[in-house]
Formats: sequence, structure tokens, C-alpha cells
Amino acid sequence: MKLGLLIDLDTCVGCHACAIACKEWNASSKVSGALSDYEPFGAEPSGVWFNRVRHYEVGDYPASKTINFPLSCMHCADADCVTVCPTGASYRRADGIVLVDQDKCMGCNLCAWACPYGSRELDEVSGTMKKCTLCVDRIYDELLAPEDRQPACVLACPTHARLFGDFDDPDSEVARVSAERGGFGLMPELGYAPVNRYLPPRQAPPVLGEDDARALLERGLASLASPVIRR
Amino acid sequence: MKPALSIIFFTVSAGAGLGLLALITLVGLVAPASLPPHALWRGALLGLALVAAGLAASVLHLANPRQAWRSFVRVRTSWLSREAVAAAALFVVGAGYVLLVAEGYRGALRVLLALATCILAWVVQVCTAMIYASLKPIRQWRTRWTPANYLLLGHWSGALLLCALAGAYAQPRAAAFLTLATILGFAALAAKLGYWQAIGGVAHAPTLERAIGVAEGVRGPGPVSVAHARLLDTGHSHGTFLTNEFGFRVAQRHARVLRGAALALGFGLPLAWLVTGDTRWQPALAAAACCIIGLLIERWLFFAEAKHTVRLYHGDPRT
Repeated sequence: MKLGLLIDLDTCVGCHACAIACKEWNASSKVSGALSDYEPFGAEPSGVWFNRVRHYEVGDYPASKTINFPLSCMHCADADCVTVCPTGASYRRADGIVLVDQDKCMGCNLCAWACPYGSRELDEVSGTMKKCTLCVDRIYDELLAPEDRQPACVLACPTHARLFGDFDDPDSEVARVSAERGGFGLMPELGYAPVNRYLPPRQAPPVLGEDDARALLERGLASLASPVIRR
Repeated sequence: MKPALSIIFFTVSAGAGLGLLALITLVGLVAPASLPPHALWRGALLGLALVAAGLAASVLHLANPRQAWRSFVRVRTSWLSREAVAAAALFVVGAGYVLLVAEGYRGALRVLLALATCILAWVVQVCTAMIYASLKPIRQWRTRWTPANYLLLGHWSGALLLCALAGAYAQPRAAAFLTLATILGFAALAAKLGYWQAIGGVAHAPTLERAIGVAEGVRGPGPVSVAHARLLDTGHSHGTFLTNEFGFRVAQRHARVLRGAALALGFGLPLAWLVTGDTRWQPALAAAACCIIGLLIERWLFFAEAKHTVRLYHGDPRT
């Protein structure tokens, strides 16, 4: 089993709802412990987040595009954050979820150094490493309705840009959509075998250059004028 | 990477201690007549003390030191765990060696302990270096030059301490130790220059485009094909763990000045003293102290100049 997220860069509008929902759910999680905030109402608020959304511009104007880029743990199949951990606090479950045992972590930061994606953040209050749990305390909770047994970020997304599922099962929605739309993992060259997949932005309508616009205008005027002239 | 003072002090102090331990036990094995027993055990004790001081500093780096005892359990995969186990073993074996030499014992056990101390000192140095050299996201550390640097710089600073010991306790034969230190000094200098040369090139540096997966252009046919990406917004208004830990920047001109200082203090001055052939212990100790100050600057740069791939997501075009 390789549980993970499929994130659609075409439909993501960069609203940060996934990050907020993640913070809200996991702030009271027993798996990760609280996500501490430092000076939340002060001049320089900071704190622990499992999911951060950044914004990029790709290409040069006018052929450019904004890409909103949510990034959380990739739940790598070959995760160095697990192998470098000296205490055994970092581990990968049979279902593919990478977790940190909060009772064993000594806060040495080495796993955060080993993660190329910046998916792990040290909690200064507890002194332990925190990371995305893929909402392991939601997805198996049989007290929740079946449609609610998904990570909080997936449920919160207003554009349905996030899907959750088992990438090992070729018939799963995530595996199918990822195959159809060319889903890709981040920095595969590092050899971590990240499980999460990103869907590339779809083709955008061509941007008109100055000459294209003039040609269109002339064609439009001609088509308007021709019936008059003919008469 | 943020240059954490606790780790900088740990690697430099423990490096000198381990180098001294490896060299002094080797000298005791290969040329037992060159150092009197009281110099041998005092030197080994000094080496162990430097390692202990370093390890104590490294604990300061931990955010949750109560769980530090658990760091012995993952020797199969973790270089940090291997380092902890090897260091613990080194203390047991090294302390045994110091006791035997101090008691004047001359049997097979002493030879065995000397060999074990020497090998463990090497193993700890390699483990320390591999903690850094095994990190794939940091191009400047993931090179063979990293273990070469840690081993040779440790032995170089240790050799200068050995010169001071020889100057104090083995006066007529101290010149041989100067020769040994000179050879190690030039080897360490070559390793450092080679390392700086190796991390200088940016041909294989990961890029922002690769990090967000648009290196071949935004996929699919479309007008956006020129893959050139830049950060618009990081999504946070103030510093985060990621920017604190990985966002450290050192200006090019500052780095140049600091490299010069590291070369002058860490190599230039001690080597200049070695060339004079002065075997008194006072200048030897001054040279060792000078070298260690130079290596502290060198180690600060080792961290400050290392760029983690997380910086790409925060807008660096390449690391």
C-alpha cells in the first residue's frame, strides 16, 4: 500500500484552505501532538505547519503562468528521513505513511536535513520533529462517515484540487487520474521515490500578440463590411 | 545551513581529539621509544577530553536531550547512531588504554587496546563526516571530499597537539613529530582546497524549475514552454523553522575573507612555524590553538556555504 495525495496544479487556486484545515485538525491530534505557534498575535507570528502553499510564476510574460504550489510530506517509499533517524522515532508504516513517534524523538534535526522538500518542522515547544500524518487519525476512523475518512486538506479544498488514495492500487482514483494526466513526483533524481503526485497545469488558450490582434480585427471588420459592400 | 555553534565546536574539538588519539596510539605501537609513557597516557587523556567536550557541546544542539540515550539503537541505517555507538566504545577502550599505560603495563592487551583506540578514532571521524556526506539534498556536503576533509583536518590539528606533547616530554626526538605534522598539514590543505574547488561548480546544481517539476516546461502542448520559474510568494509573513534552519546566507565577499582567515590561521601560520623547526612546546601549543581557531572558521563556512534544496522552494534559482 502506498497512501498519498494527488495535487492538481491546474485547479489549485492557492487559497491556503488545505493548510488551514491541516493546522486546525492536527492542532489537537494525538498522533503528532499540538502544532505550536510562536507569538500568534504578536508582530512576527510563526509556528509549525505540515502543509505550506507557495506561489510561483513559470515562463516569461506574456507566455507565463502562475502556479500555486501546496507542499507537504511526500510519504516517500525510500525515505531518508527514516533511515537517518538515530533513535528510531521516524518510521514508515505498512500502508506507506511516514510518522514520527513523539515519545522517542530527541530533536536532532537530522531528518529535516535529510528531507529535500522541507516537509518536517521542529516544534520548539515540545522539542520534537513534527510532520504530516496524512490524517492517520481520520482516514481509519470508523466513527466518521465513509466520505469523511480522508485527510482534512482533501476535504477542505474548494476546487477539488486534492485527491487521496492508494497509489499502489492501479484501479484507485488517484492512480488512474495520475496516469491519465501525467502526474509527476518532485525531484525523483534524488532517489527518495516520493509517493505524492502533482498534475501539471493544462494547456492554456494562446495569448495574442500585437500582430495577431490586428489580423483578427481586420478579419472581423472585413466580415462586417463585406455584406454591405456586396449589397 | 544555519551554522550552529554547538555542532561547529563539537566537530572541531572532537576532530582534534580523535586525530590526536589515532596518532598517539599509532606512535605508541610503531615507535614506542619516541614518546615516554607519561607523554603517551597524558596525550591520550587529552584526546579523550577533547572528544568529551565536543560530545557535551553536541548535546546542546538537541531540542529534546532527554531522549538522547535512544540514539544508540539505529546503527543499521543511521550514521549518527553509528557515531554515538563508536564514540561510546572509544571512551571505554581509550580509558582502558590510558590506565594500562599509566600503570606501566606492557603486554598484549595494551597493544590490542592501542589498536582498538586508533581504529575507533578513525571510525568515529568517518561516521561524523558521513552524517553530512550522506545527505542527498545538500550538494555541498554530498561529496567524497567531506570524509577526506574530516579525517585529514582532524589528524592535522591532532598532530600539532602531538608536537606540543613531544616538545614537552620527548625533547631530543621531537623533530620527527614536526615532519609528521608538516606532511599531514599539506595533505589537509590539499583536501580543503579540493573541497572548495569541488563545491564551486554549479553545473549539476538542482534548480527551482526541477524542484517544482517544470524543468521541461509546463507539461503538455501549450504556450508556456520556456521553463523559467520564479517565486511570487512564500505564503508566510515571517520566519519559519525552514527559513531559520536552511535560509542562512553568507555574502560572497564575506565568504572570501573568511576563507582567507581559515587558510591563514588553520594552515598558513602553523605550517610557517613547522618550517622553522622550533621544537619547544610553547610555540607548538600556540600553533595548535591557532590551527583550531582557523578550523572553527573553516567549519562555520562548511555549514554557512551549504545550500539545502528547501531553499529552491523559497525562491533560490539553484542550490
